[in-house]
Amino acid sequence: MSSISEFYEKDRGEDYYNRLIEEIGGLNGKLNAFNAIGSISEGFPFSVKDNICVKGIETTASSKMLGSYVPPFNATVVERMLKKGFGFLGKTNMDEFGFGSFGLNCAKPARNPFNEKYVAGGSSSGAAVATSILKYHVAIAESTGGSISTPAAFCGVVGFTPTYGTISRYGLIDYANSLDKIGIMARSGDDAREVFDVVRGSDGNDATCTDPDYHDRNTGNIFVIDELTNGASEEVMREFSRLLDSLAGKGYRIERKSLKILEKAVASYYVIATAEASTNLAKYTGFKYGLKNDKFYQKYNDFFSDARENFGIEAKRRIAIGTFVRGASVKDRYYVKALKVRRLIINELAGILKDGFILNPVMPIKTPSIEEAESLDPLTSYKADMFTIPPNLCGFPHVSFTYAYPDGMPIGAQLTAGHFDDYALLGFLKEWESGFKYRFRYDIGAL
Amino acid sequence: MLIIMDEMGFERLLKICRLHLTVEEAEKIRKDLEEVVAYFGVLDETDTDGAEPAYHPVEMLQLIGDDREKEFENKEGLLSNAKTYRFYLVGPNV
Repeated sequence: MSSISEFYEKDRGEDYYNRLIEEIGGLNGKLNAFNAIGSISEGFPFSVKDNICVKGIETTASSKMLGSYVPPFNATVVERMLKKGFGFLGKTNMDEFGFGSFGLNCAKPARNPFNEKYVAGGSSSGAAVATSILKYHVAIAESTGGSISTPAAFCGVVGFTPTYGTISRYGLIDYANSLDKIGIMARSGDDAREVFDVVRGSDGNDATCTDPDYHDRNTGNIFVIDELTNGASEEVMREFSRLLDSLAGKGYRIERKSLKILEKAVASYYVIATAEASTNLAKYTGFKYGLKNDKFYQKYNDFFSDARENFGIEAKRRIAIGTFVRGASVKDRYYVKALKVRRLIINELAGILKDGFILNPVMPIKTPSIEEAESLDPLTSYKADMFTIPPNLCGFPHVSFTYAYPDGMPIGAQLTAGHFDDYALLGFLKEWESGFKYRFRYDIGAL
Repeated sequence: MLIIMDEMGFERLLKICRLHLTVEEAEKIRKDLEEVVAYFGVLDETDTDGAEPAYHPVEMLQLIGDDREKEFENKEGLLSNAKTYRFYLVGPNV
C-alpha cells in the first residue's frame, strides 16, 4: 500500500496540520529544507521546488533576482495535485535557478538530515530533505542534469525523473528548455507512481508535453557501462559491486559494456545547458518579476546590467559560458557540435536500453561534507555529474534509490530505462523495496 | 585546444552578456571560462558527420496551439509584480 492510501486510512485528529507545520518550522531552522511553508489544512502533504509556480506564494528559484516574485497562477503540475486533493505544504530550497549539484548555490544551503555537516545534494536539495524528514509527504522536484537523482541519493529517498515531455512544464522557471523535466521524490516507488499518474499528461499550455504510449518492459537484463563507473571512488564501487551481486541473486542478468561516446556527455551537456540558460536568464530585466529596480531614468542596457548584478556567481558564470558558446564565430564548433554529439549518444543508449536497464552509481563519490563540496572548482564540480548527465541529456527516464548505508549515510544507484518505459522503473522499485527497507532519521507527521 | 581569452575579448564578452562584474568576480570567471571551454574541446574528438543536431531529446509532435488571443484570468496578480501606471507596466527608457 502506498503511504498516500495509508495516510487517508488513519485518524489524524483535529490538530494534525498545525502540529506538522510547527514541527517542520522547528527543524527547518537547522536543515533549511523550505524557502516558504504554506498553510495546509487538508489532503496528503506535497511540497514544490521553488522554481515551480504556486499561485499567491513567493516563488524565487532561490535567487535574489526573483526576490518577492508572487506568481498569479499555478503551474499545471500544482493545479493537478490540488485538484486531486493533495495539500500544498511549502516551497523547497534549491541551488539558484538549478545551477548546482550540492545545494550550495543559494543564501541558506539545505543540510543533509542524516548529518548536518554534509550536503543535501542539488539542485533539488530542499525537496530531498523534506522527503527524508516527513513521514507522509511527496515532493514535486525538477531535474536538468541530475537535480533529482543526486539529492535523492544523498538524502536516502526515491527520486523519479520521468521521460522528457511527460509532465507539463507550464509554470516552471526554465533553466534549459531541452533538458528540464519535472519529477517526483517520495519515500517509495508506489508513492511516486501514484503522483506520476496524477500529474502526467498533455497540457494545452505546454507544446512539448505529450501523451505517449507507455511501455512496461523489464527484460531482466541490467547493463553496467564502464564509462558510468570509471572514476568512481573505491568505496562507492565496493558498495555498488554488492548491489550487483544482490540483483544477480534476484535473477537479473548483469552484463558489462563500454560506450566511449559517454566520455563526451558532460561537455555536450554543459554546452547545451549553459547556452540555453544564458538566453532564459535574459528575461529577468529588473522590473517584471518581483525585483524592482526603479532607476527608470537609466538607459535600458544600463538598467538591465544593474538588475543582473543580483544574480549569484554561478549564474553569472553560466551566462558568460553560455553566451560564449553561442557566439556567431564559434557556434558551430560548440553549440551545434554538442547537439550532434547528443544525437549520437541518444542513438547509442537507445540501442542498449531496448534490451534492458542501465544501472550505475548516482555519484562517483560518497556524500561530501559541506566543506569538501565548497572547495571544488567549477569544472571538477561539473564533472561530478558524469553519471547522472547521460539520461538527462537524452531524456531517458531514471530512478535513484538507496541500496546501502555505509557509515550510517545512504548511498544511491541510478536505474535508467528507454523513452516511455517509466512504469518499468517504478515496477523495479516495488520489487526492490519488497526486500530492502529504507531508513530515515526523522519521521515528522507520523501517525 | 586551450582558448586563451585576451583582456579585450573577455571585456567584449561581458558587454554582450550585459554583466558588470567586480574585479574579483571577473578574474575568477575568466579563469573558469578558459578551463571549461578548453574542456569542451573534447567534443572535437567525435566524428559527427551525418548526425542531425538533437534540439530535443525526444521527438516532438510539434503541437501548435490555436492562433487566438486568450484572456489571462488574473491580470492584477500579473501586474502586482511590477511597478505600474494606469494598468501599464513601468519600465526603463528603450
